[in-house]
Amino acid sequence: MTRVLEASGMSVAFAGIRALDNVSVSVAAAERVGLIGPNGAGKTTLFNCLLGILRPDAGRVLLNGVDVGGWPAHRRARAGMGRTFQRVELFADTTVREHLLIAERVRNGTGAFWKDLIGRGRPTTDEVAVCDEVLELLGIAELADKPVESLSLGQSRLVEVGRALMTGPQVLLLDEPSSGLDRDETQVLADTLRAVQDTRGYAVLLVEHDVSLVADFTERTYVLDSGALIAEGSTADVLADPAVRRAYLGSFEVT
Amino acid sequence: MILASGFFEDLFRGILQGTPPGAVYALIALGFVLTYKTSGVFNLAFGAQAYISAAMYFKVHSVWGWPKWAALLVSVFVLAPLVGLVLERAIFRHLRTASAVSKLVVTIGLSVALPEIFNWAARFSAVAGRQITGIVPDGAGVYYDPFGVYRFNRDELAMMAVALAGTLLLAALFRFTMMGLSMRAVVESPRMTELSGINANRVSAFAWALSSTFAGMAGVLIAPRFNSLSSGDYFTLVIIAVAAAATGLLVSLPRALLGGLGLGWFIAVFNTFLPGLADDHTWLRPFQENLTPSLPFVVLFAILVLWRAVGRQREASDPLAGVDPPPPALAALERHPRLTLFTRLFGVFFVTVVGLVVWFRADVLWMSLVTKAVIIALIYLSVTVITGMGGQISLCQGTFAAIGGFTVFQMADRFNMSVLAAALIGAALAAAVGALLSLPVLRLGGVWLAIATLAFAFFFDAVMVKFSWVGGGSTALLTGTQVPRPLIGPIDFASDRAFLVLAVVALVVVSVVVIQLREGTIGRTLAALRGSEVAAASIGISAARARIVAFAVSAAIAGLGGALLAMHQQNVNYALNFAPIVALFWLVVVVALGSRTVEGAIQAGAAFALFEPLILQGELLGWIVRGEERLPEFFPLSGNWRLILFGLMAMQFARHPEGLVEHGKRRSATRINGWLEAREARA
Repeated sequence: MTRVLEASGMSVAFAGIRALDNVSVSVAAAERVGLIGPNGAGKTTLFNCLLGILRPDAGRVLLNGVDVGGWPAHRRARAGMGRTFQRVELFADTTVREHLLIAERVRNGTGAFWKDLIGRGRPTTDEVAVCDEVLELLGIAELADKPVESLSLGQSRLVEVGRALMTGPQVLLLDEPSSGLDRDETQVLADTLRAVQDTRGYAVLLVEHDVSLVADFTERTYVLDSGALIAEGSTADVLADPAVRRAYLGSFEVT
Repeated sequence: MILASGFFEDLFRGILQGTPPGAVYALIALGFVLTYKTSGVFNLAFGAQAYISAAMYFKVHSVWGWPKWAALLVSVFVLAPLVGLVLERAIFRHLRTASAVSKLVVTIGLSVALPEIFNWAARFSAVAGRQITGIVPDGAGVYYDPFGVYRFNRDELAMMAVALAGTLLLAALFRFTMMGLSMRAVVESPRMTELSGINANRVSAFAWALSSTFAGMAGVLIAPRFNSLSSGDYFTLVIIAVAAAATGLLVSLPRALLGGLGLGWFIAVFNTFLPGLADDHTWLRPFQENLTPSLPFVVLFAILVLWRAVGRQREASDPLAGVDPPPPALAALERHPRLTLFTRLFGVFFVTVVGLVVWFRADVLWMSLVTKAVIIALIYLSVTVITGMGGQISLCQGTFAAIGGFTVFQMADRFNMSVLAAALIGAALAAAVGALLSLPVLRLGGVWLAIATLAFAFFFDAVMVKFSWVGGGSTALLTGTQVPRPLIGPIDFASDRAFLVLAVVALVVVSVVVIQLREGTIGRTLAALRGSEVAAASIGISAARARIVAFAVSAAIAGLGGALLAMHQQNVNYALNFAPIVALFWLVVVVALGSRTVEGAIQAGAAFALFEPLILQGELLGWIVRGEERLPEFFPLSGNWRLILFGLMAMQFARHPEGLVEHGKRRSATRINGWLEAREARA
C-alpha cells in the first residue's frame, strides 16, 4: 500500500517541555486514520508540524514520498494536504461559493495578474460548475450565495470541508470537526464525510475528542499521551486496549 | 594609546550626554507601554498630550507669570490627567472591541487635532522662538561636572531625577497595589476581568490618567531642549518612545525603560563620532547632515525589521471576541434592486451637473481646486487597494506619490523627457520601491506594519529628499522643483480645462483597474487573507506574494497620482503635498469615509480638496445667500477648524469602522429598503 503521508521521528520541545517525543505516523492512500489523546497530549502540535505551521526540532514529513519538511504551509497545501480547523476559519464578507471559487482558482494556478488588469479575472462558468458540484456533494447547494456569517457551526464546518476539497487533496486533515456540535449534528457531519470520502477517495487523518466518531469513522487509530505514541493499530483493537483506556478513555465501552 | 583614551573619553562623554534625554525617552516610553498594556491602544497621540502640558506650562509660567511650581502643578498634575481621563471616557472606552488598526487611526487623528484644539482653546499660537525654561531655577545656567568629562546643567539633573522617581513609582504601583494587579488583568480581556468583579472602566481610566501624566511630565522636561514649542517635535518624540517600547515588545516596562535610555545613549554617541568620521570620509557628509534628525526613524525601522520577535508577536486578541457580531456586509450588496438603480441614476445625474457647472461656470481658482480633488481621489485609490482590499495600513503613501512627482521633475529637468512618459516611469519606480519595502516589513502584522511604513516615510523625508538626484537638493526644494504641463501632439494641457479632462480620464482608468482587481484573482486572494491567514494558506495561497503585489499596485497608483499633482501645480511642492504628516491625514480621511469602495476614495478626495474653500471659507454659504458680503462675520473660519473637525471625524470613525459614508449608506438603504418592500407587499 502506498503511503500518502508519512511522518517519522517527530520531536518538539517548548521551553524544555517535550510536546512531542519521537512520534511517527503514516496514512495510506484512501485510508481513514484517527488520532486521539487527552488534552495536552500533543495532538495539535503534531497536526501543526504536519501542515508546516510549526517546525519540529527533529523528524521528517513525506508527502507522496517527497520530503516536504522545509516547505511553508501554502506549498504543502498545493501539493495535496487539505485541512479544516477546530475553531472555524472562514473568510469574512464572502459567500459560500466564493470560498470554493478562490480555492479552485489557486489550484488551477490560472490567476495571472495581467488577466485581472484586462478584466479576465472573474470566475468562469467552468469554475462555478466545479464548485457547485462539490456543494451538491456536501448537500449545501442551497447555501451557495449565503454570506458565511449567516451559517450555523455545522454548516460552516461543511464549507471548510468543501473549501479543502477544492484543492484536490490527497490527504485531508480534520481538526476536531465535532467540537461545538451536538450529537445529531456530529452524526450528519460524519455521514457526509464518509459519503464524500467514498466518492473522492482521498485519505483522512482525523484528530478528534469524540471517541464514538473515531470508532465510527476510522479504520486505524493512533493514541498520543504526553507527547508519545502509546498505541496504534486497528481502531477496534486500540479502543479495546486496556492501557489506552486507562490513559484516556475511562469507562468508555465500544459497542 | 592616546587615541584609545580619547576614544573612551568621547564614548563616556556621549553616554553621559545621552542620559538626560534618554531618561525622558524612558519616561515617555513607560507611559506609552502603560496605555498599550491596559487598553490595547497604540497611542500615537501621546506626543500631542505631552505638547499640551508643555504649552500649558509655558502659558502659565511665562505668560501669566505664575511661579514654576504652580505652573507645573497646573500643567502636569491637573491638565495632563484630565486630558487622559477625557480621552478614555469620550473615545477609547467605546473602542475596546475595535481592531487595533482602527484604534491606531483614531490616535493619528487625535495627534493632529489635540494640539490644535488646545491652541484654539488657550489662545496659544505655536510660533517659533518660544523656548520654555526648565522646572528648576536657573536650569541652564548652573553646571555640575562629577566626572570631569561632561557638564550637566540643572535641567538635565532634573530630567534624570524625575524619570527615576516616575519609574520607582510605577514599579511600586504594579508590585504592591491592587490597582496594579487589576491593570495587568484588564489588558488580557476587559470583559473577562469584569466577570471576575473588577470594574474595567475604572482601571482603564486610572491608567489613562497616569500615563497622560507621564506624557505631560516628559513634555515639560524635554521642552528646554527644543528651539521652539511645536507639536511636530513632540510627534517625533513619540516615534522615539515607540522605538524604545518596541524593544520590550510593548509589554515589558523594564525593557521600555532600558530601551529609552539606550536610545538616548545611542543618539548622543552617534552624534559624537559621526562628525569626526565624516571629516575623514567625505562621502559620509550628506548622511551626517541628514541622518541625525532622522536617527529615531532609522533605529525604529531597524528594530522592526531586524528583530524577529516583533514580527512573531500577534496582537493580543480578546478571548471573548468570538461573541462580537461579525462586521456587516457592504451596503451595496444588500440594496433593493430598484434602490440600486436609483442610486446609480442619481450618481450619474450628480456627476453630470457638477461637471457642467465646473466646465461652464467655474473660474480659474475653482477649476484648479476641482482638478486637485480629482487627482487626490486618484491617489486615494491607492489606499483603497492597500487598506480596503489588502487590510493593511500603510502610512507612506505620500512617499510613493512623492516618488512619482520627483521622477517627473528629474526626467523633465535633466533629460527634457515628455512628462507623461515620465509619469509612467514614476509610477513604475514607486511600484518597485513599494515592492522592495514590502519585503522586509511583510512579516510584521497590523500596527507594526503601519509604524514601519511611517518610519520609512520620515526617513525619506529627512534623508532622501535632500539628495540632489531625488528632491533636487535642499535648496531646490525651497526655490522650486518645476514641472511642465504635458503636451500631446496638438493638445496642450497647459490649458486648465484640458488638464482637468486628462485628470478625469486618469481617474476613470484607475478606478476601472481597481474594480477589476477587486473582482479578479488578486482581489479575492486578498479578501481571503483578510478573512483568515491560516485558512488562506490551507488552500495554497501565498500571503507574501499577494501582499507584495498589493503594495506594488498601491504604490504605482500613488506614484501616478503624485506625478499628476506635480504637473497640475507645475511644481512638486513636496512639503505641502507629500510630507509624512500629510499622508497621515490622507489615511484618516480615506478610512474614515470608506476605504473599501471606489466611490469612498472619490468622496474622500473631494472632501480633502474642497472642504476648506467650500465650507470653512464660506463659499457654499455665500453662494446660497448670494453674496459674500452677506455672510456672518465669523467667516472665513480659521485653519484650526479644519484640524479640529478632522479630529472629530477620526473619533466618529471609531464608532463606525466601516467608514462614515458607508455607515450612512447602510442606514438609508435599510430605511428605503423597508419602505420599498412594504410598498411591494401592499401592491
